[in-house]
Amino acid sequence: MMEKELLTSKVTGDTCIHVKHHSGLDIYICEMKGFSTVEALFGTKYGSINTMFKTLEDTEYTTVPEGIAHFLEHKLFENEDCGVFELYAKTGASGNAFTSFDKTCYLFGCSKNYTDNLRILLDFVQKPYFTDENVNKEMGIIGQEIQMTNDNPEWRVFFNMLKCMYHAHPVRIDIAGTKESIAKIDAPLLYKCYETFYDLNNMVLSIAGNVNADEILSICDELLRPCSNKGLETVFPDEPDEIVRSEIREKQHIGTTIFHIGYKCVPCSGTERLKKSMSASLAAAILSDASTEMYVTLLENEVINSTFGAEVFCGDGYFSVIFSGESDSPEKVREALQNEIERISRDGIDDKIFQRIKRSTYGLLIRELNNVDAVANLMLNSHMEEVAPYDAIDIISSLTVDDINDFIKNEMRSDKVVLSVIEKDGGSQ
Amino acid sequence: MEYKRTELGYNIGYTSITDEKFKTCSVYVRFATCLSPSEAAANSLGIGALSASNSKLRSLAELNERLSSLYGSALGTFTRKRGDIQILGLSSSWICGKYALDNEDIESEMISLVRDCLFSPNVKNGEFDATPFRITKNDLLDRIDAEMNNKRSYALDRASELAFSGEPAEYSCYGTRESAEAVTAADAYAAYLKLLSTAQVEIYYVAPEPNVKIAEMFRNEFSSLDRHSYKCNFRAISPVKNEPLTVTEQMDVLQCKTVLTFKSDSDDIYAMRILSAILGETPVSKLFVNVREKLSLCYYCTCRYISAKNTLTIDSGVEKENIETAENEILHQLDEIKEGKITDDELESAILAMDNALAAIGDTPSSYSSWYFERFCDGNIVDPEQQSALYYAVTRERVIAAAKTLKLDSRYYMLCKEDNT
Repeated sequence: MMEKELLTSKVTGDTCIHVKHHSGLDIYICEMKGFSTVEALFGTKYGSINTMFKTLEDTEYTTVPEGIAHFLEHKLFENEDCGVFELYAKTGASGNAFTSFDKTCYLFGCSKNYTDNLRILLDFVQKPYFTDENVNKEMGIIGQEIQMTNDNPEWRVFFNMLKCMYHAHPVRIDIAGTKESIAKIDAPLLYKCYETFYDLNNMVLSIAGNVNADEILSICDELLRPCSNKGLETVFPDEPDEIVRSEIREKQHIGTTIFHIGYKCVPCSGTERLKKSMSASLAAAILSDASTEMYVTLLENEVINSTFGAEVFCGDGYFSVIFSGESDSPEKVREALQNEIERISRDGIDDKIFQRIKRSTYGLLIRELNNVDAVANLMLNSHMEEVAPYDAIDIISSLTVDDINDFIKNEMRSDKVVLSVIEKDGGSQ
Repeated sequence: MEYKRTELGYNIGYTSITDEKFKTCSVYVRFATCLSPSEAAANSLGIGALSASNSKLRSLAELNERLSSLYGSALGTFTRKRGDIQILGLSSSWICGKYALDNEDIESEMISLVRDCLFSPNVKNGEFDATPFRITKNDLLDRIDAEMNNKRSYALDRASELAFSGEPAEYSCYGTRESAEAVTAADAYAAYLKLLSTAQVEIYYVAPEPNVKIAEMFRNEFSSLDRHSYKCNFRAISPVKNEPLTVTEQMDVLQCKTVLTFKSDSDDIYAMRILSAILGETPVSKLFVNVREKLSLCYYCTCRYISAKNTLTIDSGVEKENIETAENEILHQLDEIKEGKITDDELESAILAMDNALAAIGDTPSSYSSWYFERFCDGNIVDPEQQSALYYAVTRERVIAAAKTLKLDSRYYMLCKEDNT
């Protein structure tokens, strides 16, 4: 007997349902009154960083080529009879998928026929069909995707930064791999990865919008094939605390020079990671806040423009705070940030600023609940981070100025900062 | 949902969309004016300066501090191009008062702030205050320079210049770097005053409850202005060139880009939209299935229909050695449609995809606002359901007839330099 757990936001009163299905799958459903659309995500905790793993059945760890999780995502869209897009075309749904560092998700968005679309989603993700022929054919398309991302300066500046930040952790590798690494992929290897990571115990289904929970659970009962827990273990190489190098520059044919300034922080997991990432988000928001003296000085001296911003980037074995934007003098931005971090470490954050930014972040979290896509993603991401969907709102209200001061003082260190720059080369046409 | 459009004055529309499911209130103010290369940059700067300060919050820092204290309320400005028309605007949104932790009246505060930004800007001696204006101008110059950073959109912009040469749509909505550099704080303020006086104005308020104070505020403010506005021509069909023009650029890229632009004299915009979907807007379209999946010629190969100019563009990311083969296949797929080779499944899935997208319109405040503004520009304010019925009425014959009107107008190629191949 499955138990429905009702999860409620203490602040907004929003609710969603969590079910641990007997197949092993965790299911989250948010019935959103008044909305027309449905967004569904079926995801596995399997991304580009999971290159080394074993299960209870294995004696040794298996190491797989870089880019294989993304390759598998492409191939799962093709089943034995026809392509998945053809099935969605008959219902009008918009189907898609993505692979990130730590997850692969298959999704659809629709306004009608959501039960038919859910059947398509649950069916094809559980039905792999890999042959050497269809694997070889995919190499060309993915090779072109890799070429295209290499032309993207935002992509390059980010990955260059990660390569300077991490010595061994696979977060430093491109999600799609390289033309050379994907050439080592074959059908048996894809099946091996599929059997390991597409175990329902390692997966989550998240559906939000104009849905009925009982209808969804009934389809899940019908289509989900129970999995025994394989005892999956993923491991990562030992990663030193230190960065690899502090600066990297590359030239591209672009119009404005862009930069990423990343602080390598100590990774963690579960509720600790959520609390730390909320502290880091507030720290990043305070440091990049457009009303601070540092921001105003940089802006008025034309060192930055309105593209300047900050984000927190974290997952299994990695955690960093990244400042990014356009600047002809990114080293001046790094210097200003470092001075501000030293000042805050010495004097602390003004409580008024802290309360204002905390309130602003609370407002952003409320806005997230206004959107079907955002709610579906919130439920999926929260589960993958081993927290409940509305925990972030509760945690933010419990954070104190000391939490943020401690984070800045202990984690944003001058010996852990990387500057990555893509410079405009002013090349000829 | 309750939709209500009223006229606050000549050429000033006010639309209230009430939908109780939302947790936010949003306001969108759009000014529409003819796109002119001599005015584009000044207009863009005139609007842009409104979100950098106002007469009460006299610096960007003060304005941002106020917005973040109001629970991260958003206020921004935008400039874009719709055919031959420059659309400039200000948008703002905030969480509903019931979510305020200390019962603050967020709504009243934000209505005042929006009013001050639009009708009481930070002006001294007939020009925008120097510091916020300089920040706005630097932002615009960087934005113009950064157009090259995204190679796909850069290719589409170049293709647009080529296809619409001699028409207003040829020009960037931001103006050129040179024209933007020449705009002074006084020029930008004069341009904004001219927009207030002459542009067509459409205002949208999307919230869970109606609020008459918003409409009253706009009515009062506009009534004090000397308006002599004119109607924009939102649809100006672009003439096809006698011979297709080709432009090639060499750039330091690994993946080449191609853009083919076709023009039509058909008035059947619904058939054109379905044609575009069948040809290249979905993962079961002819271009995706054949050019990308079967022949592996392009990573992307997609189609879009621009009703304001009655043109259809096909853009692709392709390796250099495949350009010719890919282009032949694209033209072949279009010929297939002209010859009537459209399956029932292709027609049905295109209509279903459009219908699915239409049904999603009401799920975000911004999509509501965009939808009703676009229909206003079309001159036919229908709701998504009515539009859906118009798509379902499109027949295979109408799609074939629309396809037969398409003529190749121009080709743009971004090629990788020899040493990159």
